[in-house]
Amino acid sequence: MTIIDDAPVRTVPEGLTAPTVKVLTDRCAGCQECVVRCPAQALSMDVDTWTVATASELCVGCRQCERTCPFAAIQVSGSPLVEERQQVHIVHPEQVEGDRSETRLGFTSWAEALAEAARCLSCPDPTCVRGCPAHNDIPGFVAAVADGDLDTAHRILSRTTVMPDVCSRVCDQAVQCEGACTWSLAGGTPVAIGAIERFITDNAPVPPLGQDSNVGAGLSVAVVGAGPAGIGAAATLVKAGASVTVFERDAEPGGLLGWGIPEFTLPKAVSDRPWVTLTEAGVELRCNEGVDAAGVERLRQEYDAVVLAHGAGTPIRMRVPGADLEGVEDATAFLHEGREALASGTVPDSLAPRTAADGTTRPATVLVLGAGNTAMDVARIARRLGALPVCVDWLDRKYAPVRPDELAEAEDEGVEVRFSSTLDHLEGEDGRVARAVLLTTTQESASSLPTPQPGSGQSLDVDLVVMAMGYRLDADLTAHVPAAPLKRQATGVPDRRWIGSGLLAAPAPPAARGRPIGTLALGREVALSAAILPEEERVWAAGDALVGPSTVVEAMAQGRRAAFGILERQPRRPGRGNGAGDRPVGLRVVVATESRSGTTERIGGEIAAGLVAQGATVRQVKLADLGAADLLATDLLVIGSWVEGLVVAKVGPAPAARRALAELPGLAGLPVALFCTYGINPRRTLDTMADAIVAKGGRVVGSAAFGRKPNHAPRTVAKAWAKEVSSPVAVG
Amino acid sequence: MTLLEDHEQTRSTADPIPVAVHLRPPHREGIVEHFAPSDLPSGWDVARHPRVARILHNRRLQFALILPNQIVFWAVIFLGFLGTAVPGLNFGTAITWYVWFCLVFVMMVVVGRAWCAMCPFGGFGEWIQRRALWQRAQKTLGLGRKVPEPIARYGFITSVGAFLLLTWIEEFFNIAGPGNPMATSFMVIGIVSSALLFFLVFERRSFCRYICPLSGLIGSVGSMGSVAGFRTRDRNTCLTCTTKDCMRGGTDGYGCPWYTWPGSADSNTSCGLCTECYKSCPSDNIGLYLQKPLNSVVAPVRRRADVAWVVAILWGLVIFQQFNALTVYSNFEGWLNRVTHFPHYPNPIAYTGIIALVAAAVGGVAWVISRAFFRPGTELGLAPDSFVARKSRFRAYFLPIAYGVIPVVGADYFARQLPKFFKHATRVVPAVGSFIGHGSTSSAIYKFHILTDPRIVIAQVVVIGLGTLAALWTTHKITNRELAPISRSTAAMRISVMAVPLLFGVAAAWMYVLMQAAS
Repeated sequence: MTIIDDAPVRTVPEGLTAPTVKVLTDRCAGCQECVVRCPAQALSMDVDTWTVATASELCVGCRQCERTCPFAAIQVSGSPLVEERQQVHIVHPEQVEGDRSETRLGFTSWAEALAEAARCLSCPDPTCVRGCPAHNDIPGFVAAVADGDLDTAHRILSRTTVMPDVCSRVCDQAVQCEGACTWSLAGGTPVAIGAIERFITDNAPVPPLGQDSNVGAGLSVAVVGAGPAGIGAAATLVKAGASVTVFERDAEPGGLLGWGIPEFTLPKAVSDRPWVTLTEAGVELRCNEGVDAAGVERLRQEYDAVVLAHGAGTPIRMRVPGADLEGVEDATAFLHEGREALASGTVPDSLAPRTAADGTTRPATVLVLGAGNTAMDVARIARRLGALPVCVDWLDRKYAPVRPDELAEAEDEGVEVRFSSTLDHLEGEDGRVARAVLLTTTQESASSLPTPQPGSGQSLDVDLVVMAMGYRLDADLTAHVPAAPLKRQATGVPDRRWIGSGLLAAPAPPAARGRPIGTLALGREVALSAAILPEEERVWAAGDALVGPSTVVEAMAQGRRAAFGILERQPRRPGRGNGAGDRPVGLRVVVATESRSGTTERIGGEIAAGLVAQGATVRQVKLADLGAADLLATDLLVIGSWVEGLVVAKVGPAPAARRALAELPGLAGLPVALFCTYGINPRRTLDTMADAIVAKGGRVVGSAAFGRKPNHAPRTVAKAWAKEVSSPVAVG
Repeated sequence: MTLLEDHEQTRSTADPIPVAVHLRPPHREGIVEHFAPSDLPSGWDVARHPRVARILHNRRLQFALILPNQIVFWAVIFLGFLGTAVPGLNFGTAITWYVWFCLVFVMMVVVGRAWCAMCPFGGFGEWIQRRALWQRAQKTLGLGRKVPEPIARYGFITSVGAFLLLTWIEEFFNIAGPGNPMATSFMVIGIVSSALLFFLVFERRSFCRYICPLSGLIGSVGSMGSVAGFRTRDRNTCLTCTTKDCMRGGTDGYGCPWYTWPGSADSNTSCGLCTECYKSCPSDNIGLYLQKPLNSVVAPVRRRADVAWVVAILWGLVIFQQFNALTVYSNFEGWLNRVTHFPHYPNPIAYTGIIALVAAAVGGVAWVISRAFFRPGTELGLAPDSFVARKSRFRAYFLPIAYGVIPVVGADYFARQLPKFFKHATRVVPAVGSFIGHGSTSSAIYKFHILTDPRIVIAQVVVIGLGTLAALWTTHKITNRELAPISRSTAAMRISVMAVPLLFGVAAAWMYVLMQAAS
């Protein structure tokens, strides 16, 4: 047995049961998945039996081993040995009306930050990193804080995020990084990752964006939208030396960072900071320049690539009788108006106190439809403008996706929140809304829709109704994003590295409010993977424009991923070289084959050799393994399959090839050459393959069928294909 | 290296997760020595041949193996109820008791878990559990629970317990006699339904690994077989593999249903030959290895206490089955049944008592040898405190001795099946003929015996003799490697240890002669 000499010594806080770890030696296969991941070095190998040996005295009860063991051969009992979490400071304004000061302050001393950083186990396979939509290296920056080195912490953060100051304030960490913290997965209280990240940015300014490579030199990219997704894309591109122009329809950049999130959550200095940094780095910002569908076409002609990061700006409206009365507005309008009023110290007429016939005044009552985070922002602004907000949401309180701290703060400030309640209709007087009739609802489970109870009508006198139920995509631009709104739902076998990390083994940790943390994270990964590939030829999409309403951090991460896609593919607008011609190496080709006996693979190899002879860089892969990464830095995709079927019936591409073609991501105009190998007659095999490619948005540039006695040499065919793709207008 | 340098050295990539992952290096010390005796040269890997590889990659392979047996065993069930009540003429009883049981033994001695790869009971449960006949489906049916630790910690012991129970039921109701064909149907239904229940409650092949009555028997006696199972081609690739698709399941294959990792498999005991690991490995790093006969008995460095006790208990059972044919047992059990008011053979007290006594005697012999020859001060090494892996002076001798006698125990079970096979295997032909009204108990083939007594006894003694020789060889090899280094008076120790398989063989052969005399 090998116990590591430098293993840390654990302490058992009072009131906790020391954990013990037990290996089921019958089932333990000695694969060491737990050994390589144990943060406490409590596991080693017993060489005699080649099973895992345990040192319970080192175990801290994080149960990473339990979650990671493929055969459930290890069990931990006892408490997670973690100190109590440092609480962040919340300010409750004495006088809410007119107050714009930040209510959540984070850690205010190094002592707090260091104590919290000490709770981090620095897991070898940190699940928090997978839980973070941007995949920040959380153990890395936490360790830097523990070392007192905020510069290093910033350097680590800057690899994955351009807005740590913003994200640490607005992220719902409980269902992201903190929900995925190993302590959380073990049933304990997670490390306050958001508060530590914020501590870094509070105590050391986010550094300027320095150019760190030349990969994007010569590229000119148009970004539509200056919100989080646009910020992520622009920052990544400009750091790589690309020329970036951002088009924003509003007068100020930032998207919802500017108008959507109130100052008491995200102070103006913080929400403005990303654009200050970006413009200093050389990003050209053009405000008041909205881009419509035709504008995208124009941008595509003028720029090498376009990133659609225009968000989902159309508010969802509830269609109930009375919804068109005066005094019914959407959250966007209210947030714009409310933000300006708060800043200028005025109160809009719609929120002004009402004077009754007897001369008494009362505050205006604002009915906020919805009780999500936007609704909370609306209600809290209304409260600060002197009104009495009432939020109604048809979901049950325990299933509502609102941040608990935000809800608590709102209620503390005097916002009335009615869950299990929905609007039946609105009644007006003189064309203006005056009353709302509400129905109670019941909801059986988180996944079921609430049911309104007929006859449960309750009348509420209202002066203003704000619909804050969320947003949907602008219909105009979705034509350029065929995948939108992309479902953030993983299908098939999850990446085994994700299973191995143990994140998926704890479907609903308590700290994540019972939300399936691994499923959510995997779903976000679907969007990240999609963002790297273009939606159309030289058009990428990110953020809400791609997935519909999501979060700031997801949008930023997707924007970055789209930028990586552009840097990898190096697209060229028409007339600025054909890509192959002005690149020091020739065409970048991927040859993907589905082979049974080896013949197709061999022919694929000969085609590859032919392309290499034409100066191309070629990689040959199995068709089933062809992934998004293979399609990225590729100018030509060659796909080959054997032909299955009887001589006349059911002749077509091999079943595995059909499956692989159906599962290909969008090809967005990528040139594709097809070939098949057959015994007697290929019949319509190549046509079937071509149809599948066209359905994915690919452009078929050539095809060839190779029989037992090839009537044309693969090398000759390869030469023709290379010539076809190298023609000036070919490369996307 | 500082934290920052560590980061700076990693190229900026679109996927930043790997940058944050710092898995500890896997333990490698001693790995070569541990697996060297059981690792096989690449020449023994039949999956290197493209045709074999293609067959193994085919998802329909196991389905094709299971389907014929599935048909046969559903026929057994239906014919037990609907077919002739004459056991010898009923296809269900004829195929089950005259041929199948004997074939299973041949397969386990020659191959290993060949039967498990085609077993219709596990196969049926698995189809339902996976909701697929051969496809790699993503969603499973059932609760997917893990086998509770109190059962799992005893490894194959539960399985051999189930085997004892089933054997007792079979003897009590005279199912394998064969008796009423309906009894065979009920037995098969019982196995199928309990398998299905376990497949719906527990994940993977938990039933096969822990509960199936034949699993312990095939796992131990099958280690004589010449198929080593699916093993890693390059252990280093497995050690550094970050996905472990062979255990967790990949796009093309399920995770190992038998809780076996090809990267550490050192015997064929827990390889169900289902090919899933081979299909799912993303690195094409798994081979199907053949091995010399008895290799999985001799080679593994890791000895498992559950396997050793399974061998001792199985020996107890087969000795009981021989002993009960002698007059002395009949007299004893007659007396016991009168005292305990038990209706007829087999009296459970006598049954469990004799088996326990024999198994304990095997342990006792090992204990005596350990006391006599263990060299004081010898380090046994540390091991996890568990039933399967715990180490002690007694176990240091008992486990090698028990592994060593596997061939003679296996031979004895095989010899037990020979009379029915030699006398009645041909009855399968009229039993099949009886479907179409051509089978008859008066037909020549029905009455034909491949061998008759006393030739059968000679065959049994020959089988026992071969088993004993094999056991002497395995015991000799194991003694050299495992017992000699920890013993004093090695010559005397060798004689004592080698006497065990010899005694086993002589006892078994002698009893066959006595059984013949008694009948």
